[in-house]
Parts: sequence; structure tokens; C-alpha cells
Amino acid sequence: MAAAAAQKVQEVREVTRIERIGAHSHIRGLGLDDALEARQVSQGMVGQTAARRAAGVILEMIKEGKIAGRAILIAGQPGTGKTAIAMGMAQALGQDTPFTAMAGSEIFSLEMGKTEALTQAFRKSIGVRIKEETEIIEGEVVEIQIDRPATGTGAKVGKLTLKTTEMETIYDLGQKMIESLTKEKVQAGDIITIDKATGKITRLGRSFTRARDYDAMGPQTKFVQCPEGELQKRKEVVHTVTLHEIDVINSRTQGFLALFSGDTGEIKTEVREQINAKVAEWREEGKAEIVPGVLFIDEVHMLDIECFSFLNRALESDMAPVLIMATNRGITRIRGTNYMSPHGIPIDLLDRLLIISTSPYEEKEIKQILKIRCEEEDVEMTEDALTVLTRIGMETSLRYSIQIITAAALVSRKRKGTEVSVDDIKRVYSLFMDESRSTQFLKEYQQEFMFNELGVDTEQMETS
Amino acid sequence: MDAGMQQLIKHVSAIEEVADDILADKQHLVDLDRKRNKTREAVRILSKDKESKKTWVCVGNMFIKMPKPTAQKLLDKDFDQIDHQIASLRNGLRPKVQKLRDMENKEDMKGFQLNPLTKAEMKSIDDML
Repeated sequence: MAAAAAQKVQEVREVTRIERIGAHSHIRGLGLDDALEARQVSQGMVGQTAARRAAGVILEMIKEGKIAGRAILIAGQPGTGKTAIAMGMAQALGQDTPFTAMAGSEIFSLEMGKTEALTQAFRKSIGVRIKEETEIIEGEVVEIQIDRPATGTGAKVGKLTLKTTEMETIYDLGQKMIESLTKEKVQAGDIITIDKATGKITRLGRSFTRARDYDAMGPQTKFVQCPEGELQKRKEVVHTVTLHEIDVINSRTQGFLALFSGDTGEIKTEVREQINAKVAEWREEGKAEIVPGVLFIDEVHMLDIECFSFLNRALESDMAPVLIMATNRGITRIRGTNYMSPHGIPIDLLDRLLIISTSPYEEKEIKQILKIRCEEEDVEMTEDALTVLTRIGMETSLRYSIQIITAAALVSRKRKGTEVSVDDIKRVYSLFMDESRSTQFLKEYQQEFMFNELGVDTEQMETS
Repeated sequence: MDAGMQQLIKHVSAIEEVADDILADKQHLVDLDRKRNKTREAVRILSKDKESKKTWVCVGNMFIKMPKPTAQKLLDKDFDQIDHQIASLRNGLRPKVQKLRDMENKEDMKGFQLNPLTKAEMKSIDDML
């Protein structure tokens, strides 16, 4: 019964591991070769060679820890792969470098101030590498012998024989160790580790040499090799944690559960200062390394002037991450002011940025991207249909044509087709309007919509 | 044999030398640990034995009978010395491995050069890991 339940749990875990298909789920990296030259089509990336090469150079500097506290702006029209490049950078950085992605509008929340949200994002992007060192005794249990006193009460004594491939030895056991051995259900043939400082016993599994001892074995039984070398080892583990995680743990009002609930609230400045001091102390003692990560802020024009001045200041800090921002705006109003500025970013901040620009895709590239998306979404499409879709992509937008893929696949499945044909695309194209056709429609039938008498003002409305 | 070839052989043999050194150290560690465990066993047995006043101790290939406290003191000293040797061997291993990786043009291992956190410090962030 219990075993069946356990198996079920495992199945559920398998299911949750399947990821949903996101807009940039096909990106695996920046698609650069060893000389940092961009390959035309690689790792889900297509075109934008100049921008990708620039991103690659920056990536190399981040990896070597050469730059910190710098900022990069990826600027370009909508649908030219800004987010894709940022995602590619994140993928290429690997597990160890912290990467935080957020949208500019995320900082406007009722629960915390704008600067608090930004500070948290900054600290999520700075890793601290620390090392844990423990002395352990690791070996295969040859024999456990426990002597119970004849009276039934009183202290038990025992002996534990452990071996590795190289040696074998006997340990005398006290009352405490016997208890924890019984609790862990350790028996002869198990591979165990004993933490020398705490006496904690961990069962790693059963020895391969004992695999044939019994025919019936629980499904959880794990077989491991008998350890090699010395019995008493020194084990070193390197962890990378983010400053934000340390903040949350030490923010007394919250406790560590806050890390999982996601709602951390505001963290006191004193807590942060204490942690900064502690980390600085560790650094001086050679106990910790700072791993500057990457903070990516999409739609950065959504930030207002207060945030920008905060960013200006925050980038000066000696523990600042690399800041990557993306925007699709040209010369526009800086939020919170009446001043116009390129990309909606104040000139003084703009001055600190390295700017990478992306350019619109060409027809060939659009076709390639659509092809990759088809593969990603498991959609079979005829060559003709792909050509038609590419044309639609050229005339409307890349995003619109990507959305058509899934819809067209559904239509073709409805008519029991195996491949998406030109007709399916046409049908979806007539069902769903793109932005320009929708605008056209509105212009024609504006009179029949509600509140159209206000129409004069709405034209002036700004989305920023 | 041209100059490039000679240089290559020189480089490879230098790498082999360092690698051999590391392997020898590791074997030495195993031997020392075996000795340490034997010493520990001996100390335990001596401390449990309450009856006899004197005991046999094997030195080299000669058995010597000596008073138990003396034997115990000797063993304790041995144990401490072995412990010390193991620690210094382990500490010496780190720069050697680093050098080998350097010669093989491998990237530095992340956090390899860090000093470990103390028990108390580790405990305070243990919840997070």
C-alpha cells in the first residue's frame, strides 16, 4: 500500500516536470561559436548576429567576473528578439550565476515600495559562494553488534565494523550512536556516512556485493559501490546562495518560510547592512566569494524617474550585479516627468549604458524562426503553408504569425489532417485579426462603438 | 625530433609528474588513515582492559612489555601525530591539484580556494540550503 502510494507520488513528479511552451522556450543559448562569432541559426537563435555577438562579449566578461555594476541596454523595435537575447544570455550563464528577470511594471506593487522591489531584485542577482567542510566517516557496514544488558535496563554497548575497499576497522558504540543506528535501520551491507562533528548518520544505500542477498527487495532499495580510499574523509561542498535569500532568512519577522510563499514584504535596512558587513567579513577571511549575477529588466521605459535615479546610485555599489535592460521605445517621455529622452531613460543613466540594438528580421530569418517555433510546438507544416505564414509575418508581425501556428494546428487537427496546409492558415487568418486589420476595422466602424464621441481625446492617449 | 615535439614531451612529462605526486599523496593518506584507525582501536582496547598492569607492545619487529599508562601515552602521541600528518597532507593536496588543473588548461574549480565556514556560521544558513 505504502509502496503503491510512493510510486504514485513519483508519477506526479514526472508530470510536473514537463514545461509549458512559452514564447521563448526554444532558446537554448546565444548560438555563438568558440570565437564568439554568431552562427546564423543555432541554439534557437536566428539572425541578429551583431547584437548576439555583442551580448556574447559581455557574457564572456560576466563569466570571468570582470565586469560588475555595469548596465546594458538592448534597444529595438517590438518583436526583434530583445527578450530572446536576454534569455539566451541567461541560458548561457549556466546554473551557478544568478539571473533574475523582471518586467519594469513589476515594481509597482501595493505591498512594497518601488525602491524596495528594485533592491530585492538587485540582491537576488548577487550570489555568494561559500564552502562547507565536514569530516565524515564513510564505509560499508560489515557487522553491527549490540549487547543488551541482561537486566533489560541500563546502557547498551556495541561494536560497529566498517570497511572501504582499502581498509576495515571496528568502532565502539555508545548509547547515542546505537539509538541513531537503530532509528536509521542500519544493517550489515548498508553504505553509511557518519558526520564526525554531529554524529548524524546517513544511509546512502546498499552495497552492490549484497545485491543477491534477498530476492524480494523494496523498490526504493538503492545500490551503491563500496567506498574507496580512507574511512575518515574530508568532504567539501560549495554552495551558491543569493544575498536576497540570506536577507529573507535573517529578516526576523518572516522566518525562512517566507522564501517559499514568495511574499517577503519589506526587509529592514539594518538587516541588509548587517548582512553586507558579515559577507564583507567573510570575503576578507577568504570564506566567501561574490558572484555578480545578471538582473534583466524588460520594458524598462515603465520605470519612473525615481527608479532611474535609484538605479544610478545602486550601480555605484561595490556589490552591484550586471544590469541588462530592454526597451522598444524611441524618443519618449520619461515616466514621472515631462521631459523627453531617448528610450525614455534619463540622459545621465543612458550615459552609463552600453547599448546593443536589434534590427527587424528579414524574410529568410522570419521563415527560420517560424520553422523553429513549429518544431517547438510539435506542429507539422507544409512548405507552402510556411511560405504563406512567412509573408503574413512580414506584413503584420512576427508575434502574430507565431500565434497563428497553434491555432492553425488546431484547425488542421479538426479536419483530421496531419499537416497544416495553406487553407488552414487562411482560415485562421480570416478568424483572427492582426493589429493593422483591427485598426482598419475600427476606423471604418468607429461610429457604431460605444463612447465614440470621446474619440478626439482617445487619440491623444498615451500608453506609457 | 623537432623543437615543438620536445617541448610537448617536456610539458606532458611535467603534467605526469604532478599527477603522480597527487596519486602518491592520496595513497599515503589512505595508509595513514589505516594506521590511525588501528591506533584508535588499540587505545580503546587498552582503556577497556582493567585487569593487567603491563602490556605487550610491538615496536618494529620486537615485542616489548611495558606498563599500560606508558603504552597508552605512546599510542596517544602516535595518534595525534598521524592526525597532524593527515591534515598537513590534505592541505598540501589543494595547491597541487590546482597546479595540475592549471597545467592541463582546465578552468579553476569554483570556490576551490575558499576557506570553509565555521560550524556556527554554517548552521545559520543551513535552513536555506
